[in-house]
Order: sequence, then structure tokens, then C-alpha cells
Amino acid sequence: MAASKVVIVRGKGVIPRKGEVEPKVLANMYERGFRLLTGQNNSVAGLRTIFAPADRIGIKVNAIAAPELTTPPEVSLPLARLMVAAGIRERQIVVWDRTNRELKEARYRLNSGGDVFQIMGTDTAGMGYPGEPITHLNIGSLFSAIQSSFVTASVSLAVLKDHGMAGITAGLKNYYGAVHNPNKYHDDNCNPFIAELFDAPSIKSKHRLTILDALVVQYHRGPSYHARWAETYEALIFSLDPVAADFVGWRIVEDLRKAKGLPSLEEDKRAPLYLRTAERMGLGTATLSGIQIVEETA
Amino acid sequence: MKRRIFFRTAAGAGAVLSADPGPALHHLYAFGQTVNLSHVEARYYKRLADREIECGLCPRRCKLGDKERGYCGVRQNEGGTYYTLVYGKACSVNVDPIEKKPFFHVLPGSDALSIATAGCNVHCKFCQNWEISQVRPEQVQALDFPPRAVADAAVKYRCPTVAYTYSEPTVFYEYMVDTAVEAKRQGVRSVVVSGGHINPEPLEALTKVVEAIKIDLKSFDEDFYRTYVRGELKPVLEAIKIIAQAGIWLEIVYLVIPTLNDAVEDVRKMTQWLHREIGPEVPLHFTRFHPMYLIKNLPPTPISTLEKLRQTALQEGLRYVYTGNIPGHEGENTFCPKCRKMVIERSGYKIVRNDLRQGTCPNCQHRVPGIWT
Repeated sequence: MAASKVVIVRGKGVIPRKGEVEPKVLANMYERGFRLLTGQNNSVAGLRTIFAPADRIGIKVNAIAAPELTTPPEVSLPLARLMVAAGIRERQIVVWDRTNRELKEARYRLNSGGDVFQIMGTDTAGMGYPGEPITHLNIGSLFSAIQSSFVTASVSLAVLKDHGMAGITAGLKNYYGAVHNPNKYHDDNCNPFIAELFDAPSIKSKHRLTILDALVVQYHRGPSYHARWAETYEALIFSLDPVAADFVGWRIVEDLRKAKGLPSLEEDKRAPLYLRTAERMGLGTATLSGIQIVEETA
Repeated sequence: MKRRIFFRTAAGAGAVLSADPGPALHHLYAFGQTVNLSHVEARYYKRLADREIECGLCPRRCKLGDKERGYCGVRQNEGGTYYTLVYGKACSVNVDPIEKKPFFHVLPGSDALSIATAGCNVHCKFCQNWEISQVRPEQVQALDFPPRAVADAAVKYRCPTVAYTYSEPTVFYEYMVDTAVEAKRQGVRSVVVSGGHINPEPLEALTKVVEAIKIDLKSFDEDFYRTYVRGELKPVLEAIKIIAQAGIWLEIVYLVIPTLNDAVEDVRKMTQWLHREIGPEVPLHFTRFHPMYLIKNLPPTPISTLEKLRQTALQEGLRYVYTGNIPGHEGENTFCPKCRKMVIERSGYKIVRNDLRQGTCPNCQHRVPGIWT
């Protein structure tokens, strides 16, 4: 069986100052990332191997720890523009999270309707959490209409962070924002909930791509921002395997913790065991030997 | 007609927005239109290092970083200070017969001004009120209904009690306690309907301001609590003991779910425990399950099951054992344990006849425990 590819692209100078993103460096990071991930000659051709023109694409960002530790518009909108270059119409792309309030706090300008990118929370009029609760394994939730109805293809564009309960939060846990009751899934280090939620049909069948925003990595005391333990890491992590992407993210957090003299997540009794659960469920690879890591500086 | 109206479903039905319901609105009123969160500091929490906190309200003791919410979904850490987001934010308000709670030994035939906010600190797969209990406060519309307004409304609508109910009152603890204090000042009593997942210290404080607590004992089996409730049995049993020791009125409800918690021997152990730890006079209600929320693949509880469990509890010496959610059933009535005469006849939530005289049987003068006047 072929190894799962995870591409780490470092972009020196992509964060010139706190809270700022250097667009040219970021553009190069996306360019290199998609080439390496897909083996195509350029990012647009690479994106065409992942998405079709008819897709309605949801870019699920993480706006919960605004303003410091969110997926900012400076990172998500360039990705959306690349998709347009790959033949997806703007109105078929939605950048979204749970609430409009959180998106606004993350400096997004909301927009729903029209011929431009949709940027909205699930609490936008006409969206919400329709229907009856859906049960799947240990999950029982209402799903965001954006994820369950609007989109046909899904990108988890998540911030890589330490998490006091889950160990780390990355691409898989980002989908907690797709259900109405994420607070109910934090027992037992979020295991097996993170894996089982991803396995729900309206997520698993639509997920195409994970990109971890590791421009600044909170490696301790996350998921909230603490400058003391936030490392300017200047990386984006790309993978078509959602479990492998998070597994590599975990290793990055562990390496940073070790370098700073902190105990490992395992020693802290919060290793992200949900990754092993996800692997057992066939959602991806959580074993280093099964992952091909490609690392490059843009 | 449903006497309870959830904002989520009723907002579009032309409901009235008011903290002061009109006289025609015997069942609920009042809907907000926008996100409506409070920002009142919570009680019972510890500040930890690095802007983290530990909640001390319920046995979960959620440890939360900045900007995180507890399991209940209605309490949030902001910069190392813990806030309740639902203080004075009622998402459901009704005038209900107190029998609906159910309290059968508290002011029979009276109305209870019944309030709830969003949120719950467990996650029962069979929750009968999940539209408000299993959601975050942003997901329901809420009315600004501060403690004083609740007490005023209870007086205005001749409700001798305010009931904290529907969702889980523990998660709106500060609102409940302050309302109970204000209500008492105005001569209105408070009654609580809870799952009993609350720590001893806040519970002991609560028992000083309310008159009665009904506990939903969901099973007598830890595995059931872990699997179907996402909670623990042990702290619930502790809570029952604390309530009994505090000397306020206590009733127990046991929702009987076919195949999951209806084993006679388990129920026998539970009734033996109640008899031993609390005494034979605690009312016990076996209520009928209806398929709901995440358990829709089971039928409603057979009436024969409820009857069998009621007989089991009576055999074990409990004196006031009821069946619920079966209108017109004999098990809804109160019988004098000494002379066996029916002293209160009920049909559904209605009192057909109440023969008690100052809480005593008119036939043999045996005292039936409860709050009767």
C-alpha cells in the first residue's frame, strides 16, 4: 500500500510581524505545496486533480480563538482564489465556521449570496442546523447545513494547536465546528469522538483536503493563545490523508514541546489517541512508517 | 395543546415578545429575536495558572482554557474569569400544573411558573427536552427574564411556586438561586427538577433557598450512566442523600426505558437503597418512555412493565409509588399507606379529588408527608 503523503512547506518571512502575513511568501507556499502534494506542474493543475468545476467547496476555517490563533482571511482567501483559478466559480466556494460573530472577530467580512465568495457562519439566516439529530456511533448531533447540504467537497483549513483535552487540535477536530453540540465530545481526550464525527457521512464523504495552518503553532496551553508558548513556525501542511496530516502536526507539537523542555503530551496524559482510533477505523494513517513526509522551504 | 413552547420552533408562529405576559397567555410567552447571552460571573470555580479555570459546580469539574466552554455549553472562560451565559435568559417559560414536574406531594392542583435556560451537564440519549437542553444558548431564542421579573410573574399569575425545570437547572445555578431568593422574598416557593449531577457544596447552598427537589434517577447502574447519560451514578446518589439530610422535600423519578433500565432486579436494588438511605416515604415515580432524540428505535414502555416495577417498589416497602405518563391509570393516585384509602385522585396532570385534610388521611388520620399548604 502506498504511503500517505504529507507535505510541509516552510515559508521564511511569511509572518513578518505578529498578526501579519506576507502574501507573496504565502502564495509561494501554496504553489509549492500543491505541486508536491499532487505531482502536477503547478498549483492550479494540482487543484484540478482534487476538485471538479461543479463542486461547491467548503473551506472550514477555525475562528474560535480570534484574533491571534485563527485561520485568518489572509490565509484562507488566497486558497479560495487559487480554486477560482482552477475553474471553480467564486459563488461555489464558501469559507465558513460556526458563527458569524467568531468570523467577524477573526476579521472576516461576511457575505452570503451573490457571485462572490460566500463567507458565513452556520448561524446565517437560511443555514442553521436543520432536521433531526443524526446518530453515528457515539455521535448524536445536528449538522450544519453548510456542511450537510451546501457543500459537495470539503477542505479542513485548521490551525495547528495544542489542546488541553484532545492533546492537539488540527484538521480532524476542526469539524467539531460542523455540529451543534461540540461541547458534548470532550470527554476521554475527545476519543473516540473526533474520529467518529469525521466518519459521519456528511463529513467523510465530502472531505477532500487537509491544510494545517502552522504559521504560528501554540504548542502548550492551547487552544487559547499564550504568546509565551506560541512559536512562529512558518509552515503549511498539506495532505489528502486527514489522519496523516494531523499525525505529522502532532509530531511538530511534540518536537516544539521537547525543545522547550515541556513534558510530552503522553506524559501530560493527553496524547491524541483519537488518531489511532481514526487509523483503526480506516480513515487514514497514524503510523510514521506509513507516511511519506516531504518537507521543503518555499 | 402543548403548554410548553420552545422558542426555536415557536418564534416563527407569532409568539409574543414580552417579559410581562398578557393574561390570555397561560402557557408561554416571550421570545427574543437575536443572540442573547449574559455575562455574569459564575460561582463555584477556581482560577488556575495561565488563564485556565476549573469549574466546581458539577462532578465533571471541567478544566478550561481561555475562551473555552464547559460540557454544559453555557459557561465560558474569558481571560481566566468564568461566566454564565444564561443568567436571566429564559428560553422556555410556562405556567404548568405542578403535577407535570412531577411533584405529587407538593401543593397538589397548584400551578408552577416553570422556567429553563439552554444547556445541560449530561447528554442523555433519550432526552425528552433535547431542543433546549442539548443546545448552546446561541441556538435558541431567549427572553430577558431576570429573577425579580420571574418572582413578579409568579405572583401576578398566582403561582405559589417557581419551578426550575425542562433542561438542567444546575447549569443555570446562579440564575436559579437568585430567583429563589427573590421569589421567597415575595412569598413564592421554589422547586427544582434536576438530574442531580451537582457537587455537594453548591447543592447544600441550594437546599437553603428552595423547598423541594425532584431528582431524575436514570438508572441504578454505572454502565448505563456512562453509556446513555454520559454521567455518573455515584454523585447522583450522593446528591439524593444531601437533599434528604437537608430536610427539604424530595421526590424521585425513574424513566423506564424498555430493555435498557427496566430489569426488575435492578429496580429492586434501587428501591432497597432508597428505603435504606432515604426512608420509605420518599415518593417514587416510574414514568413511561416515549421514543425521542437519539433513541427512536425502542417502543414506548409497556404499561405492564411500569405496573410490575411499581409493585416491586411497594413490595420493598416504599409507601408512595406512582406510574407516570399514563393518564387515568390507578398508579397516578395517592393512597394512604395505613388504611389503603385513596386520598388524592389524579387524571394526567389534573387533580380529580383531594381528600387530604392538612396532610392527613380523612379516614385514619395517618399523616401523609409532603408540602400541602
